[in-house]
Amino acid sequence: MRRYWRIFKEFFRTCLVEELEYRSEFMGNLFSSLLGIIVSILMVQIFFYQTDQLGGWAYADVLILLGIFNTLQGLINFALRPNMPRLLLHIRMGTLDYVLTKPIDSMFFVSLRHLVFWRLIDVVLGIGLVIYGLGQKHFIPSFLDVGFFLLSILAALVIIYSLWMLLMTTAFWVIRMDDLSFLFNSFFETTRFPITMYKGWLRMALTYVLPAAFVTFTPASSLIGKWDGGATLASVLVAVIFFWLARRFWKFALANYTSASS
Amino acid sequence: MTIQVQDLNKSFRVHVRQEGWTEALRSLFKREYQTVQAVKDVSFTINTGEIVGFLGPNGAGKTTTMKMLAGLLHPTSGTIEVDGFKPQEQKNEFKKIMSLVMGQKSQLIWDIPPMETFLVNKSVYEIDDHSFRQTLDELVELLELQPLLGRPVRNMSLGQRMKCELACSLLHRPSVLFLDEPTIGLDVNTQEKVRQFIANYNREHKTTILLTSHYMGDVTALCDRVMIINHGKLLYDGELQVLSEKLTPYKLLEVRLPSSTRGPWESYGEVVTFEDGKLTLRVARDRVPLVSSELLANYEINDLNIQDPPMEEVITLAFQEESHDH
Repeated sequence: MRRYWRIFKEFFRTCLVEELEYRSEFMGNLFSSLLGIIVSILMVQIFFYQTDQLGGWAYADVLILLGIFNTLQGLINFALRPNMPRLLLHIRMGTLDYVLTKPIDSMFFVSLRHLVFWRLIDVVLGIGLVIYGLGQKHFIPSFLDVGFFLLSILAALVIIYSLWMLLMTTAFWVIRMDDLSFLFNSFFETTRFPITMYKGWLRMALTYVLPAAFVTFTPASSLIGKWDGGATLASVLVAVIFFWLARRFWKFALANYTSASS
Repeated sequence: MTIQVQDLNKSFRVHVRQEGWTEALRSLFKREYQTVQAVKDVSFTINTGEIVGFLGPNGAGKTTTMKMLAGLLHPTSGTIEVDGFKPQEQKNEFKKIMSLVMGQKSQLIWDIPPMETFLVNKSVYEIDDHSFRQTLDELVELLELQPLLGRPVRNMSLGQRMKCELACSLLHRPSVLFLDEPTIGLDVNTQEKVRQFIANYNREHKTTILLTSHYMGDVTALCDRVMIINHGKLLYDGELQVLSEKLTPYKLLEVRLPSSTRGPWESYGEVVTFEDGKLTLRVARDRVPLVSSELLANYEINDLNIQDPPMEEVITLAFQEESHDH
């Protein structure tokens, strides 16, 4: 575990060098991230002109949830999304062979090798929004709230990683990755609002089939003191199951992989 | 670090598709497969410190065999042992003692200097600072990398990149090295340098090396022993020299003489070329001393050169021999 942390730090360092090589426009990216978060706040406000509750959640609560959504989105774009096109390239060019001959877990390597730093702006803005939301609500979470929050956000991270990996692994068979990203985005967008907003079968599907409910809703509820031990436990369980699935699928794909002969 | 291969087989199931879009549509529903046997009953042993050349035309099964040795493909049947490891188990301990270099594929990060990739490998292979420094210094000196270390890989020539590629895969001091076409696309000068490096490295570190190449020069310069494979079958395994003597029981006599000289050249051997005072004769090996002394005695000779037939010819003959067997 510590070894992998060390390797991750090395990835971090190299990617920083890589990015400085291009001097990616920090200001431009900061501006687009800011605009993105402002638009999503405005969207929430438009809803609240019509109503003072969204799925039973007040304005400040929804802001907190939105903050968590933004943070997670930032993390996905920081660490996961940049690796998708690379994996496709590895498979098509046959350079996956190099990954597979390294004494390192190949799933770890292909999913976290490339990082895009300026996406961390979204994480910072997201955390800022969570704090602002708590301020609006005049609510200071207790230790227990924070504990449940940390547990469920950890589960959320694992769930996202696993879903992303399940999707990414299909790259062994599917060549068009734009469609894959779109699929993931459509799913992830549903976590922008409280799950209680959805009704009927859609809500059932988003809770039990695609675990969207555990991604933002459970952590946000915990943070505002409305934690539910059962839900948190369920989210951890779901995280474990999905991670196991993702792992199995990756191994299965590798076993099938017969690299492009030179 | 011995490599032992016993009755190795590998077959692929390939999807066959006819031309035309109606056929393409049909293949969506009913796929036809064909089994292709890429490697057939191959057995060999390579001892510690040996450099073995692996020869064969495209699609002969060289790369497939090499990939099985590196643990990238599972054998359909048969056993492989590399220093006691079964490669297909892909154990980290195994990966740490071997390295694979593919001439056509790069592992260096494109946009930044090679040193960054070296550092990634340092942490992936858990190389401690001291040995990393030591190995790197040695490789930098042997491969003359100093001026390249700070340059982004994308600005390098193919030859420079290949040298960095080699350094990158040797940082963890593998005891088994698989080189797949390491000199492909390089100019003659750089090819020579890469060969010298490989030869020196092998001598210094007793690294076991299996090398595939299209360039006969690589093989004649580096390998005493060759394995020739075609259609997945091992045709020959042994000394290069012995193969040459067996398949080409003649030598080439290159004679330079005044262009006006005429003589009964056919009586000495088969005339390959004769123009502008340059005569090339193909002479049976056991008759070479006799023929050359007779030529020197009877004619005014400016130069006489005895050569082994080019290796390309030997290999071509080896493949022809195989097709006669069928």
